[in-house]
This record gives sequence, C-alpha cells and structure tokens, in this order.
Amino acid sequence: MERFGEHYLEERKLVKRWSGPIPALVSLLLTLTVFYATWWIFQDPRGLMRMYTPYIGYMYCRWWLIMMIWMVYIFDFWPFKRKWLETAHPLVKGTVLTLISVAILLALVKGFFEGFLGNYGLAYFNPEQLEKLDGITSFFAAEYSALAILMFAAIASWLSPAWVVAMENAPWNKMPQPARGFSILTITFFLSTIVYFVTMHPHMGILYHPWQYFTSIAPPYWEKFADTVSGNFHVSWIMCCTVVVWLVETIWERYPFNLIKNNWLRRFATFFGIILIALAMHFFLYFAQELTWGEAIRGTRRAFSPDWRWLHVGEMAIFFLVPALFLAFYCDNWPKKFSMPVNVATRTIVCLVAAVVLYIAYYKTSHLFLGTQKGFSHPQQFPMIPTIWLINIWLAHHWFMDNWPAWKMVPKTAHEIEADHNAARARIDDIRFTPKFVTGIGAGLAIGVLFYVVTVWALPGLYEIIDIIPKN
Amino acid sequence: MSEKLKRRDFLKGAITGTGIGVLGAMGAYSYSGARKALFSKAERNMTDIGTCKSVKVTNISETSWFDNQTLVGDIKGAGGLLVDQYSYNWAPFGNGTGLGKGSYADGIAMIKQYLPHDLDKAWEIAQANSVNPDNAGGYSCLLEVEELDGNKRKFLLDSGWSYKWMDECFKREGIDKMLENREIEALFISHEHFDHYWGLPVTMKYDPTITIYIPEGFYPEGKQYIKDAGHTGKLIEVKNGLCKQIPGMASYVFPIPIICRVYGEQSLYFNIKDKGLVSVTGCCHQGIIRFAETAYKEIKYENDQCHGIYGGLHISPFDDWDPKYDDLVISLERYGFERIGCNHCTGVLCAKKFISAGYPVIEGTARFRSKDKAYLGNGDTITFG
Repeated sequence: MERFGEHYLEERKLVKRWSGPIPALVSLLLTLTVFYATWWIFQDPRGLMRMYTPYIGYMYCRWWLIMMIWMVYIFDFWPFKRKWLETAHPLVKGTVLTLISVAILLALVKGFFEGFLGNYGLAYFNPEQLEKLDGITSFFAAEYSALAILMFAAIASWLSPAWVVAMENAPWNKMPQPARGFSILTITFFLSTIVYFVTMHPHMGILYHPWQYFTSIAPPYWEKFADTVSGNFHVSWIMCCTVVVWLVETIWERYPFNLIKNNWLRRFATFFGIILIALAMHFFLYFAQELTWGEAIRGTRRAFSPDWRWLHVGEMAIFFLVPALFLAFYCDNWPKKFSMPVNVATRTIVCLVAAVVLYIAYYKTSHLFLGTQKGFSHPQQFPMIPTIWLINIWLAHHWFMDNWPAWKMVPKTAHEIEADHNAARARIDDIRFTPKFVTGIGAGLAIGVLFYVVTVWALPGLYEIIDIIPKN
Repeated sequence: MSEKLKRRDFLKGAITGTGIGVLGAMGAYSYSGARKALFSKAERNMTDIGTCKSVKVTNISETSWFDNQTLVGDIKGAGGLLVDQYSYNWAPFGNGTGLGKGSYADGIAMIKQYLPHDLDKAWEIAQANSVNPDNAGGYSCLLEVEELDGNKRKFLLDSGWSYKWMDECFKREGIDKMLENREIEALFISHEHFDHYWGLPVTMKYDPTITIYIPEGFYPEGKQYIKDAGHTGKLIEVKNGLCKQIPGMASYVFPIPIICRVYGEQSLYFNIKDKGLVSVTGCCHQGIIRFAETAYKEIKYENDQCHGIYGGLHISPFDDWDPKYDDLVISLERYGFERIGCNHCTGVLCAKKFISAGYPVIEGTARFRSKDKAYLGNGDTITFG
C-alpha cells in the first residue's frame, strides 16, 4: 500500500555535506537571507507588498504555518507518493510543496473565511461586509477581518499539531491517508471552532458599538480575572500552548509523558500536560513583566496595559520557540549523548539563554532592518510576525527541502529504522522508578521551587542592568 | 544496583523534579493574589512645579483631517500604519510620484524657497504634487496661563498640518496678530506627526523667532524641517521625563513609539491653585491614564485631585475600536476628572461612550468643520480654574 509521507521525517537520514557546525551555519545564513528577501517582498512596511499592516500580514503568516502542519503532520504529504518525496530534488520539492501550501492558504482565507463564513455566517470575517457598517473605514474593515481569521489560526496552530504530538493521531492512527488526515483535520477544526467561540468571539463581539449583547457575552467573562476585556488574555495562553507543543515534540522528545505506558493515559496526560505547562508559562511571563516594568494599569495603553501585557506573554513565548526549532532542525537536537532528562534539561537551558539573547537583540535592533518601530509596545509592533515568518521558512526548508543544500537526504534502511526504534525504547527504559529516582524527584521539586524564588527575586535587578530600551 | 547507577537515577529524578518544581511554582504562584506582596508601592517624587491661577485653552483646530476614509485609505494604500510618514506623499512633501513613494528631501526641495514668507505659493505647489492635499487640516491650540499674580502668559501647542487651513484658523482666532506682536512665548510641539507638526511654517510666517520645544526622539527629517521652515529662534529638545516650564506648568516627554514612524510625545501639566491637575495633550499616545499615573508619581498637585483634561486622547483616531479602549472607558472613573474637553484623536465614538458613562465631558459647538458636539470643537474654549 502507498505510504505517502507516513513517518517520512523519522525515516529519512539527513547526511551533512560538511563536518562540524558548518551545515548549521550555512543553513542559518541561507534561511536568514530568504527570510529577509521575502520579508521585504511581502511584509516590510517599506517593501513591495507591505502586508505588515499588521494584521493582514500576520494572518497569512499564521495560516501558512498551519498549512504546512496540515500537509506534513496531519496528511503525511498526501497525495505525494513516497517515491517522489525520496527522489525529487529538494528545490523541486520545496517549490511544489510551498506553492501548494500557499494555494491552500489562499483558498482557506479567501474562500472559506472571507467568502463562505464572512458572507453566510459571521460578517466580521469579511471586510466587505464590515465596510457596509457606518463609520468603518476600509483599512480597519480589513484589519478587523484579518484579526478574527488570525485568532482562529492561533487556536488551530496549537490544536492541529497537538493532536499528532499528544494524541498520537488516535483513534485514527492505523487508518490510511487521506482518511486519517481528514479525520484529524475535522476534529481539530471542530475543537478550534469551539475554543474560538468561547475565547475570541466575545472579543469580536465588543469590537463594535453598541456591544453585541445578543450574540456574544459582553463584557466577556474573563474581565475580572484578566483585568481586561480584551481577548489578548486568551491569545497569551493559546500562544503558550502552541510553543509548548513544539517544545514537547522537539527538544523535550515528549519527556516525561513518554514514560507513561498506558496509551490513552499517556495521550491525555500529554494533551492536558501541554495546557498546564502553557498556563504556568502564561502566568509567569505576565508576572515577569510586573516584576520588571511594574504593575499593569487597566485602561492605559502600551506597556502598562493588561491587554498588551497578555499579548506580550505570547510574544515572549515565541522567542523561546525559535532557538528550540533551530536546535532540533539544524543541530540534530543536540545534545543526545546523555540520559533523556539530562539532554532535555541541557537543551532547555540552551534555548532559554538563546531566547533571552534573541529577545534583547530583537528589541535593540529589529527596527533598524525590519521597518518596524523602536520600542516594546507599539500597537503595530508584532514580533510574532517576523519570528513566525522565520519559523515558516525553517519548516519549509526542513520539511519540504530536507535541509538542502547543507544536508543530503538518504532514506534509512529497515535495519536503521529498527535501530532507531530500539534506541528510543532504550532511552525510555533507561528511566526507572527506583527509590533513588523518586528521592531525586523530591529533591528536584525543592530545587525547582528554590530556582523559581531566586528568579523572581533576581529579575527586577537583572532587567535594570540590561536596560534594553526605555521602558515606556 | 551499583552506586553509580543509583547516583544516575537520583540525577535523572532530580532534573525531572526540578522541571516539575519550576513549572508548578510558576503556575501556582505567578498570578496568585500573594504575588502582589512583592510589588513595591509606587514612590511619589512629589516634584513641586508650583501653581498657577488658571489655564484657558482655545481650540484653534482639532480637525487634523476632514475625511477619515480618505486618510485611512491613503494609509492602507501606502502599506499601513508603520510606513514612514514622509513617504506617504502627503502635502506639503509631495513629489508628484504618487502614494507611498515620497520623501522629505524631494518634497521640501520643491517648496523650501517659499518658506515661510509665501505659504500660498508653497501650498499651491504641494497641492499639485501631493496625495489628497485638501484632506489636510491640523491640530493646534492656544494656552493662556494666568499666574497667581494675575499675569497672563501665552503658549502655542502644535502648529497643525495644512498651511492653508492653519493660516485660516490662526486668523480666525487672532493667533497671527499675537505671534506678530510676540505675545506668544513659545511653541510646544507635542510630537512629529504630520497633523501636529507639518504646519510649522504657518507659525514661522508670523514669528520665526519663537522658541520651540520639541520632544526627544525626532527623526532627522523632522529636525531639518525646523531649519527649512525658516526658524531663527531658540530650539530646545526636551529630554524624556519632567521639565518645569513656568510656575504651575511643566512638560513631560514620554519615549514612546508611535504610528507612521514617529517617536516620543511631549504633553503638558498644569497645577491649578485649589483645583488640581490639568493635563493638556496633543495626541496623548502614552494614554491618558498613563499620563495621570505619571503625574501621580512625579508631581505634587493641588488637593491630589485630577481636575481636567484637554486635547486628543488618542483612543480611536480613525473611528476604529478595540476592546482595550473599553478598558479605558471603564477605568477612567477611578481618576475622578472634573472637566473633560476632548477632541481630535479621541474619536467621536469614544467621546460618546464617555458621555454615556456619565463623565463630565464639556461639549462643544460643532463649528468650523468640527464634526460633533461631543467634541470641544474648533473655536471653542475651555477654562480650568
């Protein structure tokens, strides 16, 4: 039976063309060049298409990410045959698959959201419908519509990969493509719709005057808890979920959830574990802003308003994802020589440090070359757009082009695949619930809490020392 | 089991436990009420800026542009809100190449020789080469500060945009004569935006020697424009933070990024004897609540009372809306302002929401092309004190 791209990513062997870190550096240089060229063409406010309005560019950026996830993770490259995936030149594959992802993207945004939903269901998905309302300019009609569509994307970019990573494609994991792909697409789209209605729809419902009491809960139910009526509160934790899914999948190798032997228990533990970790991140990154910039003040603008602080939580989280994906895609998920917990911890620390460095570098310099504005909190300053744009390019390069030209793809032999599976099992079996392990966990819990306390204590002082840019 | 294996098991457990411990603490404590115990109470600097008896604001013009659709259509066509304002090809810097293709250098080269003595000619050229020049209006107001001894001092806040419109407005309110007679001490530029700043030659036409205060953060084109507009007086670039001006009056520069590639805004505080704090703003991009909170932290003012606001509050300048603006409408009550004169970039919708919420909005007369009585409009005045 044709396997299409089932397990293609695990069953390909990427062979470095040069030794040492050269392939990673070449790939970084190449992808950054493509990033900057495409940024100028599509997004840059000084460039050709100037889609960074910001929401229009952001919408396409987010949905393009999901298109690639659908094609690779959910549909296993269907309808492309395995033979073609293994033999076509990476440039040909990259071009064909990227163009298809863009075609689906346009069909989804223009056809499904704006054309179908926007004309026959919810007017706010269609700019032309919004323009019919009194006082709404065409620019903001397009922005509001793009905002709604991208908010849906934020949820889908969490749930689509989560079903594969956490739920392991169950209960359709044995079903052939494309039936499995359509099943997972249906369930994730369905769940995204539900989450959208209880998180983002109330935000859209109060975007107009008067508040749309009859169609959405107004003021939204989270107002007191989040100290804002803005849906950015949800953008924050959902963004964290998206980031955590990929951390679990890449640098964490699904640890520690992969220690759970029972299939369904492991799947649910992973799915809800991702949400819990994301919530921890969501609350901590908000708290970190309070510790460094001071308490948020409801009703004000920019860096002191709760709605922006929640948005910035998501922005900070994405800075963590960038080094994690680079490590996984171009550094072979270094290191691998230790036990799984040590590998995972090392990668996490490396990514944390890299994320902080990237964050500082971004806010110190990005306005000099991205055409954006200096400062943390400009209403049109969305670091998620360039970072996700770069991630998109990495996904296309890694998934569609096998890291060409610095790597060469060679299909693994059956023996190599078997050896990989055995090694993966061995890494899990290496973790034994011995009395010492349990004692270690107890000691680790105390160390973890202490580390948190020290971090909270040190953050304000550290921030003062670094002083990235003026704090307003 | 060997000791080595036991140590390795312990290490694996400890690392795993550390991760769980950190995440657990992050989740349990970070947004709990207990965290607030760690926040230091804001220390008040209580800087004494003195007091004045009253301040009267005359709205010279609050209509920065006359048609929202046209302006926002230009912004959309040029590539959005982050595009450099000098490249929109708006008057007076139009170079005839169309939307989004302009530059300061090209635009000023066409009109510089006429600044500031022949603004009719300069604007005529600008009209011929710019995108939608007749949509340009401008923001400017006259401030008359009465000191405790009854002495009155005059200042201008901003100089608008269109040479033609601002000249008409200056004449309508007698600003031209005040400038010619050197009655106005200084021009405060709130920020570099086209609608507040590009009308600078109109002020220069009547008094090129006037002292100008600009906030830190102007771009090179903006600084060059002061020279090109014919200014011969003193130029003061005000650093970020508080700057005392005269007894009872201070400016405050906020280092904030603003749309259309502008950075930094200067707003004004007045401490009115027996009344309290009055805030006068150009656009208030920093947000009115941030402005009030900054005053609370930095300044000593009468009765610890926020008495009044005048100006653009930059909430929905393009009649757009966002739930975060509702946060402002809901929260403003806490600050207890007693007189609110809002216009310009506040957004008519927002002014109406203020009125619906029961805030003391001083309504205007909707004359001279001001849109709605919810705004304190062109030619209207408001006195604090």
